[in-house]
Amino acid sequence: MSRREGNLEDPQADSSVSLLPHLEAKIRQTHSLAHLLTKYAEQLLQEYVQLQGDPFGLPSFSPPRLPVAGLSAPAPSHAGLPVHERLRLDAAALAALPLLDVVRRRQAELNPRAQRLLRRLEDAARQALGAAVEALLAALGAANRGPRAEPTATASAASAAGVFPAKVLGLRVCGLYREWLSRTEGDLGQLLAGGPA
Amino acid sequence: MPAGRRGPAAQSARRPPPLLPLLLLCVLGAPQAGSGAHTAVISPQDPTLLIGSSLLATCSVHGDPPGATAEGLYWTLNGRRLPPELSRVLNASTLALALANLNGSRQQSGDNLVCHARDGSILAGSCLYVGLPPEKPVNISCWSKNMKDLTCRWTPGAHGETFLHTNYSLKYKLRWYGQDNTCEEYHTVGPHSCHIPKDLALFTPYEIWVEATNRLGSARSDVLTLDILDVVTTDPPPDVHVSRVGGLEDQLSVRWVSPPALKDFLFQAKYQIRYRVEDSVDWKVVDDVSNQTSCRLAGLKPGTVYFVQVRCNPFGIYGSKKAGIWSEWSHPTAASTPRSGLYSLFCEMKQKLLLGMSGLRFPIWKSARARAAGRASRGAESRARGRCGASSSSSWAGSRSTRTAPTSASASTTSGVPGCRSRTKPATSTGRGDPALGQTGHGERSCQISSRGAGHPPCHMETQRPNPNWGHLCTLTSGHLSHPQQELGWPLSSNGHNSSDSHVKPPLGAPQWGCVCV
Repeated sequence: MSRREGNLEDPQADSSVSLLPHLEAKIRQTHSLAHLLTKYAEQLLQEYVQLQGDPFGLPSFSPPRLPVAGLSAPAPSHAGLPVHERLRLDAAALAALPLLDVVRRRQAELNPRAQRLLRRLEDAARQALGAAVEALLAALGAANRGPRAEPTATASAASAAGVFPAKVLGLRVCGLYREWLSRTEGDLGQLLAGGPA
Repeated sequence: MPAGRRGPAAQSARRPPPLLPLLLLCVLGAPQAGSGAHTAVISPQDPTLLIGSSLLATCSVHGDPPGATAEGLYWTLNGRRLPPELSRVLNASTLALALANLNGSRQQSGDNLVCHARDGSILAGSCLYVGLPPEKPVNISCWSKNMKDLTCRWTPGAHGETFLHTNYSLKYKLRWYGQDNTCEEYHTVGPHSCHIPKDLALFTPYEIWVEATNRLGSARSDVLTLDILDVVTTDPPPDVHVSRVGGLEDQLSVRWVSPPALKDFLFQAKYQIRYRVEDSVDWKVVDDVSNQTSCRLAGLKPGTVYFVQVRCNPFGIYGSKKAGIWSEWSHPTAASTPRSGLYSLFCEMKQKLLLGMSGLRFPIWKSARARAAGRASRGAESRARGRCGASSSSSWAGSRSTRTAPTSASASTTSGVPGCRSRTKPATSTGRGDPALGQTGHGERSCQISSRGAGHPPCHMETQRPNPNWGHLCTLTSGHLSHPQQELGWPLSSNGHNSSDSHVKPPLGAPQWGCVCV
């Protein structure tokens, strides 16, 4: 006869029950932060494309998807990974946010009077959601060991490239930033709901 | 030809023959990673051009497999496809574009010129910067509010819009020695301003100028030389109060406080007052207000709302001979002059309206009249102070005020040059507080209606109501004349002012304030 406290047939129920209240609160808090930052990232992207001028803001705009050193797009298989593994990848991607500072410096040359854009890029580069996710994973016993971004190389490339490639690169970075934030929000939501490990 | 020095980009544009303003640079851009196997390079990369000039650009395709063709390539500029007739295939792998009479750039980050493959994919891009060199900045003005800092502002050159990001830098140095310094706190009082917060010397001249720079060149303003002590100004005088002068219908009293920031310095402040009628845009300026903090405006229209402002000029600081800089005007303060005899005509019109309500009104009116008649007599003649049916001997119906409006003459004339009147008698409190102060309080600003004697309908009650912009005004209420407001007025100030007036307690529920129909 299985006792409710020791139900071995449902590991997920066991893990969810064993979550300490403060840890659950922390997950909830981090999820809220991810949600808020996702909204900010959408606003940042909208403002960015507006200031670069058409065709950046046009729906038909399809620039080359330039590879960004240290920051890749989510793989198609990302959604099928366990939530802890997804969160590890999320944290690694969010750690590459110094790339946003590279974009900010270039935009400070191209759009020096766009104070709101520059401030949003600066705020985005400073946000600590990646660190918060890593702390959660550590508390869950699944510390992040993923690769770190190398913004230096990209920064050098960005400064040497022409203006148009720099605009495209900034668009790519802002887009990836929004995409990873959205995935992080979703993955944290799943963790909060006691999704599959 | 735009003024100012030409930058390197514009100077290079002058190398070709002047009759052929074509620009062709052979700068190779960075290879672009295309969505497919082919990439391309646009030349020139990110050129800077004068408005009205022409551009010849090329898009050279290369990639895998070799032998990529220029056939099918096309151009867009800021997202709009360019007409095919502007393009020309130079060779198998190069498509050229000729643009003439370029307009100023649409955005400061540059116009986006893009080379597309046949399928629409982006092969390469280049940003065009089309604009004008900066004009010489003009109209530099500087001021200090505390003799420690300095704020300056200027106007961009005549054309203003350069279509390119133009950087303005305020520079300053001590005239006789010292190095150039650059102001760092910009946009403090507008887009073209800068604030120097500290480390300024007194009794020695500074040279100040503005440098404007963009991709096409730079320009420098004329040098402004000044001593900090000569450009001192203040905040506007605080606590400006405007009030009536007793019952004088053509005067208002203005009082203010000298600016506290400079109270420790020896200077002779000058003040200016300006005022206008509520529905006018024409200000009258009182210029002769020297080192005093009050003024009486005269020659005003009775029963009129006036807006009044005051400003200060702290000239003569530490013996400076310069005129000083006027402060901003204080926030407008409003007040109204008492009404004149003309109002009686208006009251008469209202009385006729009362006729239609006589059935309801008489019982109340009679009782009020009876009460008034029972009090100590103050004279048989009714002094309808609202000048409604002023004659005591005439029936109220259709009576016309015979009381001479004491200020009718002055109301119909305007004073000549505005000026401050000397006080012949101190302004007494007649129950009219300062509208600007929003003073209320029973009797303090009340107007009083008194109407005694048979045949005189009561004046229409004026009630004061607060107005967020103007303080308290006397306005006319109409209707509801069977309301106890018809009754005689209520006490003024507790000091027994106007003791000849009837003294009736306000009816229950009536507002505390009424207005004197004068």
